[in-house]
Amino acid sequence: MFPDRRIVLGGLASALAAVGGEAAETAVEDAARRSVARPATIKRVFPAGPPAAILLYTLAPDLLLGWPRANRAEEREFLLPDVGGRPEIGRITGRSNSANLEAVLAAKPDLIIDVGSTGPTYVSLAERVQSQTGIPYALLDGTLARTAETYRTLGRLLGRERDAEEKATYAEALLAHIAQRVATVPADRRPRVYYARGPRGLETGRGGSINVESLDMLGAVNVAGGTGGGLATVSLEQVLAWDPEVIVTIDRDFAAFVRQDPAWASVRAVRDGRVHLSPKLPFGWVDFPPSVNRLIGLIWLGKLLYPALFPEDLVAETRAFYRLFYHVTPSDEGIARVLAGRG
Amino acid sequence: MKHRSPLLGPALALALLLAGIALAFSLGRYPVPPGDLLRILVARLTNTPSGLPAASEAVVLQIRGPRVLAAILIGSALASAGTAFQGLFRNPLVSPDILGASSGAALGAVIGIFFSLPILGIELLSFAGGLLAVGLVYVIGSGLRGGDTVLTMVLTGVVVGALLGAGIGLIKYLADPYNQLPAMTFWLLGSLAGIAPADILTLLVPILGGTAVLLLLRWRMNVMSLPEEEARALGVATGPLRAAIVAAATLVTSASVAASGVVGWVGLVVPHLARFLVGPSFPRLLPTAAILGGAYLLLIDTVARTAASVEIPLGILTAVIGTPFFIALLARMRGGWS
Amino acid sequence: MILQARQLAFGYPGREVGRDVDLALTPGRALALLGPNGGGKTTLLKTLLGLLPPLGGEVLLDGRPLGSTPVRDRARLIGYVPQVHLGTFAFSVADVVLMGRTAHHGPFTQPSARDREVAAGAIDRFGLTGLAERPYTMISGGERQLVLIARALAQEPRLVVLDEPTASLDFGNQGRVLGEIRSLTRAGLAVLFTTHDPNHALRVADEVATLRAGRLLAHGPAAEVVTRAHLENLYDAPVREVGSAPNLAFVPDHS
Repeated sequence: MFPDRRIVLGGLASALAAVGGEAAETAVEDAARRSVARPATIKRVFPAGPPAAILLYTLAPDLLLGWPRANRAEEREFLLPDVGGRPEIGRITGRSNSANLEAVLAAKPDLIIDVGSTGPTYVSLAERVQSQTGIPYALLDGTLARTAETYRTLGRLLGRERDAEEKATYAEALLAHIAQRVATVPADRRPRVYYARGPRGLETGRGGSINVESLDMLGAVNVAGGTGGGLATVSLEQVLAWDPEVIVTIDRDFAAFVRQDPAWASVRAVRDGRVHLSPKLPFGWVDFPPSVNRLIGLIWLGKLLYPALFPEDLVAETRAFYRLFYHVTPSDEGIARVLAGRG
Repeated sequence: MKHRSPLLGPALALALLLAGIALAFSLGRYPVPPGDLLRILVARLTNTPSGLPAASEAVVLQIRGPRVLAAILIGSALASAGTAFQGLFRNPLVSPDILGASSGAALGAVIGIFFSLPILGIELLSFAGGLLAVGLVYVIGSGLRGGDTVLTMVLTGVVVGALLGAGIGLIKYLADPYNQLPAMTFWLLGSLAGIAPADILTLLVPILGGTAVLLLLRWRMNVMSLPEEEARALGVATGPLRAAIVAAATLVTSASVAASGVVGWVGLVVPHLARFLVGPSFPRLLPTAAILGGAYLLLIDTVARTAASVEIPLGILTAVIGTPFFIALLARMRGGWS
Repeated sequence: MILQARQLAFGYPGREVGRDVDLALTPGRALALLGPNGGGKTTLLKTLLGLLPPLGGEVLLDGRPLGSTPVRDRARLIGYVPQVHLGTFAFSVADVVLMGRTAHHGPFTQPSARDREVAAGAIDRFGLTGLAERPYTMISGGERQLVLIARALAQEPRLVVLDEPTASLDFGNQGRVLGEIRSLTRAGLAVLFTTHDPNHALRVADEVATLRAGRLLAHGPAAEVVTRAHLENLYDAPVREVGSAPNLAFVPDHS
């Protein structure tokens, strides 16, 4: 195998820079410990998938080439007008590629970033795309706990360390706060939560799946967490046997019918009126896409699970988050619409 | 193969079904003791309060009960349709989806999920997809002149089925990978986890209607399994009769797939099991296959919902159980499809 | 007269196999259709059964055009005995013969007691009672042919049409089946059968029609049509006569 010319050159350049003293670093280590050459100028960045697009938008909306899927009108309302409407460019994620590599090249990106898993599949995908296109491809960690680190790495890659530090600090403080508050709750007082997806509400995330990361951060007991794995279907009878105290869902149809359905009526969460529909504008608050959009969802969910521990004003927090991360200042009416779970 | 007393086979199938019902009602992830189970059922029948917790009542009457009924209905529907098709196409390796009913229904459902329709919308689109697919195959198949009508129809079904499969692939490819794609995958693997009491009503009409037509035509199916010219010489208007059988079988298959997702193997394996019990003559074979199909899917679904805290997809269980069973059957059946 | 063909042209859509055929079938008499393979015998048979529409001329069943007679009515007048085949499913002999009653009950009804009685009678007549519960796939070729004849009789027809009834049988079974065909005419039925063996035509048929390349070469009483001169013309090969009437037979000559 040939040594990557960019890395060699990059190493040479950084050696020269070190001699020269003050130029910016030219190779950055990504989350998979790969050395990614940092282009001299970065004007256009290609996001490999939805989590990358969101992360990039929050830090450097001007560099975002487009979206894996075009945003709908009600989503664009909470995004910068000129950026939210940028075109659909597909995604690069293994076999289900919907972005043609030639089209990726034609978009003339200076850098490709991917946020999510940093496992061997994605490392090899990154290497392949990088060698085929000659465009540096950085892999970043998509888990909530690593948000601050991910922002700092992206900041170094893009040369926007100061903006990145702002976001990283927010994430760090938020996560530290939550961990501190949750630590005061004894194990037997942790709420038992069922996470419902799908129109019938019978899809759920098992233990350790990225879909229920928010629940884990908040110390809630995921009733389906007994077995590890990704998404799975369960029976309603199983849900009844679990008898969760709280149901969190991302499906509006399910949230609507569960309150009238006689079969669900005897589930404790339904009886107690503790079925909560996650906000999803412009991006989901608890699950998908699994990116920094979930940070604000932690406050929302924290207030629902531990009302006494989370005295924050949700409207004010939402406005602050949207201002800092989405670069917009939504009206009270807009925030009300978000909180109602519309979209 | 010798066939014993004419009533032994159906009696055995019926006994299996009744045992299956008893087993299915008493097993589940939510524990309901047998005594409570009986009290709830009796209270329901006599319309008096059972005095038991609402959750136990909901489990028996809203969740387990409908699911048991749906498994029986769908199992018997798929087995009847499979039996009818094996006769009609004179091929014991045919299953109810040979003319594209399952692929059509699957495409309809996947489109429904893609557009985030409510459940009823997804089910209706799926049902319509199954009917449309078979209608299309039928029109194309009868439009192609010459040759063996039955063979032309089967080949058309295979080709159209492949096209529909590509359509499913396209929709999955376009789907939102975080929300819709898992829903589609789960749906395509088949499950009765989502069955609600309302589904029983929507299932009942097409399945009972279609199965009744098939049962009424059961004697004629013997004749339809002969070469076409022979059947006509025996006085059967093969064209209209074939259309009637295909329509009835498609009705029940599409309704089943719309409610349960794609559940393979039942329509292929159960007819053989029934033939083994009562021989190939449809007047006895068809009712036996219907009963046996209900029992078979009921038992499989009971495993699917009790073996683990998460559901095991039906499509996977039926394949895992069906494959070795079918291989054993092939080994036994060297002397023809008795 | 039960079945009559007048100036019949037959074949498949867009492909005529034969033409100018005039035939008539009458009760108590057997007509043999004799000719080389590929001469159009089977196609003509299918047209006379109404399985193929005539390309020209007409076929009359009981004085009515065959095409406008519902299939069910046809099946009550014409019993068809196809060439022996193994079906897909191993129906019992009794079930196969009972299928002959299909035209006598409605599409949604099951065979009646009388249907079963008639079928049992047909089985008995051919000495098949001992085989009644055996799978049709597990009896000998000759027995299978007899089962199919019994099924045709269960239709209670006035005409029985047999397609190459002896073609796939061994020597002994050929004689048995020919004898049964003879007995059909004695019972007052009209019989039409195809064969490529002139001796079978001579033994069993009252009348013989010879068919080659879709045309009738000769048509008349068996003794007049099955002659050395006619046969040499029909098969385009030398033929030798063996013995003399009533034990006359013909064999291919090779010298």
